[in-house]
Amino acid sequence: MSWDYIFVQVANGAVIGIIYALIAVGVTLIFSILKIVNFAHGDLYMLGGYCAYYIIALLGAPPLLAMLLSMAALFVLAIVLERLLLTPLYSDATERKDEYGLIITFGLAFFLRNIAVIIFGPYPLKPPSFIPGVQHIGEMTVTNDRLFAGGVGIVLILALLYFMHRTIWGQALDAVSQSRESAAIVGINSGRFNSVAFGIGAALAAAAGALIAPIFSLAPDMGVLPNIHAFVIVILGGMGSVLGSIFAGILLGEAENLFTAFFPDPTRALAYTNAFGLLILMVVLILRPQGFFGRRHLRME
Amino acid sequence: MSAGAELIRGAGLVKRFGGIVANDAVEFTVVEGDLVGLIGPNGSGKTTLISMLTGHLMPDGGEVVVRGRGMRGQAAHLYAAMGVARTFQLTQLFGRMTVLENLLVPGLTRPGSTWRAVVQQARSTLDFLKLGHLEQLHAKNLSGGQQKLLELGRCMMLEPAILFLDEPFAGVHPHLRDELITRIQELHEAGRTFVVVDHDMESILRLSKRLVVMARGRKIADGPPAVVREDQAVLAAYAGS
Amino acid sequence: MRGLHVYILLAVAALALLFADRLSSYWMHVAIIAMFYGILASSWSLLAGYAGLFSLGHMAFASIGGYTSALLVQWYGIPIPVGMAAGVALCCALGGLIGWVCLRMSGPYLAIFTLGFSEIVRITFATEDDITAGMAGLHVERLFNTTSRLPYFYVAFALLVVSLLLMGVIVRSRWGLFLRAIREDEQAASASGVAVARFRILAFAIASGFAALAGSFYGHYIGILTPSLGGLDFMAVLVVMTVIGGMERLPTAVGGAFVVEFLLELLRGYGQWRLPLFGIILLLTMRFARNGLLTPLWLKFVQLGEPRAVTAMALRDVPQKDPAQ
Repeated sequence: MSWDYIFVQVANGAVIGIIYALIAVGVTLIFSILKIVNFAHGDLYMLGGYCAYYIIALLGAPPLLAMLLSMAALFVLAIVLERLLLTPLYSDATERKDEYGLIITFGLAFFLRNIAVIIFGPYPLKPPSFIPGVQHIGEMTVTNDRLFAGGVGIVLILALLYFMHRTIWGQALDAVSQSRESAAIVGINSGRFNSVAFGIGAALAAAAGALIAPIFSLAPDMGVLPNIHAFVIVILGGMGSVLGSIFAGILLGEAENLFTAFFPDPTRALAYTNAFGLLILMVVLILRPQGFFGRRHLRME
Repeated sequence: MSAGAELIRGAGLVKRFGGIVANDAVEFTVVEGDLVGLIGPNGSGKTTLISMLTGHLMPDGGEVVVRGRGMRGQAAHLYAAMGVARTFQLTQLFGRMTVLENLLVPGLTRPGSTWRAVVQQARSTLDFLKLGHLEQLHAKNLSGGQQKLLELGRCMMLEPAILFLDEPFAGVHPHLRDELITRIQELHEAGRTFVVVDHDMESILRLSKRLVVMARGRKIADGPPAVVREDQAVLAAYAGS
Repeated sequence: MRGLHVYILLAVAALALLFADRLSSYWMHVAIIAMFYGILASSWSLLAGYAGLFSLGHMAFASIGGYTSALLVQWYGIPIPVGMAAGVALCCALGGLIGWVCLRMSGPYLAIFTLGFSEIVRITFATEDDITAGMAGLHVERLFNTTSRLPYFYVAFALLVVSLLLMGVIVRSRWGLFLRAIREDEQAASASGVAVARFRILAFAIASGFAALAGSFYGHYIGILTPSLGGLDFMAVLVVMTVIGGMERLPTAVGGAFVVEFLLELLRGYGQWRLPLFGIILLLTMRFARNGLLTPLWLKFVQLGEPRAVTAMALRDVPQKDPAQ
């Protein structure tokens, strides 16, 4: 158990955490603005990864550009889906909107997961590295891709925070997330923001998918576990709190990684890592449903 | 009406939301036969008080006693079972259940009730409220005033000793409002106790035998309407709000 | 004729029983699986459609019921029905516990919590393979030692009928009204004297018991159990079936299970394409016919037997105008 080992584990945990944070922030944003939990978020992440892969494979684009194009593509797709499926959420004629949001995104997830198997095939695919090679830390190694993923992830998160707190559009988004009515009074057209919010959430998820793909490969069901992790994080960090999601995401990534690294029974470690996160989720939901940072969320009237 | 047995007593009730003290050591007693008007500027804590007295909110301090029985920690439905009924500021009905079913629910929660008897009681309640012809309609399709009446009906099905009505006249057509006042008076004559919260001063004054005024979480006046109306503190509270 | 719809259903049931032996082994299997899903769909609709508790843990209870019965029979040699009863009892208790834990949770939180619970169960079953044989599959003693599936058909049929009768009684009783009231407005229900907490726990306990019944039957029928029974894929299919049929009524839930299961088999030639197809149907149903595709058919069917006054239950989804307005 050398310091190098610990350092590498912590670094890996941080990278995973940043990726989790990217996904979770999207879920939080969508929850704040549209007031629904997006059960299909993990599958948007999956699609983003595949999209980047095919942009590289078919268009020969460099990986970083592919990631950006994939983000744009998923942004557009998300807006289309929002217009097709989510508009009843804004109409007073729709009852039990919570339930509607649940079932429709659940159904969307089901659809996307299964259509992905057909389009992309069931076997894992691996896109080329962003930056081939490894870094040596004592006797341990960390792949450049992991460092790159962590770095780009941080850049994206900072960009989002900047957008939300420093730009007009971002502040408007923040306003809508806090109160649609008040935002409307000051002249903000909330309707547009639903699409934008869904689009941004999807774009961030796509980035996460594209960044993780060279590290862990792509598979049609790769979104299932991250989806659940996103929920764990969003609840830990407080539904509706972007900062909370970021911190909770990194925390969870770190905690899981260290759990795997130090769990006494190595054959079971990996399997129970996921269960560990879920157990935390359940405990938090029981004890403190609003998470550690969250504002109390109001039921959709 | 002469004073009767003590029905419900809130002693030293305190409720805080975050940094705000919604109810600050409020003492509130209602005896049998009372018809209390509970008034006060917006945000004075009237609904919070009602919610505590009917079991929908747990007090942060003080306690609620119903018919001599301490109600610490009891769920709202137990208050209902003890004859404490309430309506809500924004009518809360079972929207996709029929008008009749809305009344069957409270009726059937009472121990020993049979379907036949409850349906009969529900129908006569609907007739009393002049809603009988709407029996098979979904509650959400009623007009605002009809929904208020239905909520009153829901209370009546519990055979309550005391009814708390939270803004029953809000947004109600004047004609329907007179209906509502008449019904309340009829029920009061028949022996039911009422606490009515509203901002419609005219209706409150027509109805109330006793006026309780709240401001900023505190009870500032409690007595016959004629006296309370002249109370300096009350005038100040309304002027300043 | 009064009650015509009931007579028609009885006739169909009688015919099904009489002519079951004419079915090929393959289609009999399909029918048995359809009835298995029927029990699951109707019990899930009790939870999600009547009480409004969107639980994603339903298949987890089927799985727990299945493994409990299988292992008890294997270790202690008890008769299979006793094992199944034990599975049901355990899941009633466990379901009630989960219901209690979830009391303060609404909509999405409840869904996520039950999803978490479901995954923990699945992961545990998969990982502790010295007990459960994990992904390799646990060998379960079968109910009958015959090659014919006919006895299983009759058992599944009986279980489905009994389940529907029991749930039907609950739903038509005051308990049914209380559950629906809870779904409509918990606060108003509370103010009306409904013991909301008690009924939420009860709904979970009852639904989970039926899930365990279906799951344990499944184990003793197929002869093998894997942790995937409690997995998200099965749960998703269940949601698809129930919502497409109509999640707010028992008959439409069962109907959804039957229709989707039979279509899945009929379209077997399309392989992978079946699931995305049903995904689209689910999305379209939610978007445009939220109370389910079978609901209007069922309402018409019921009207055959009760033509004069359309029952209050039937009116639930029909938009109405107030005659006085």
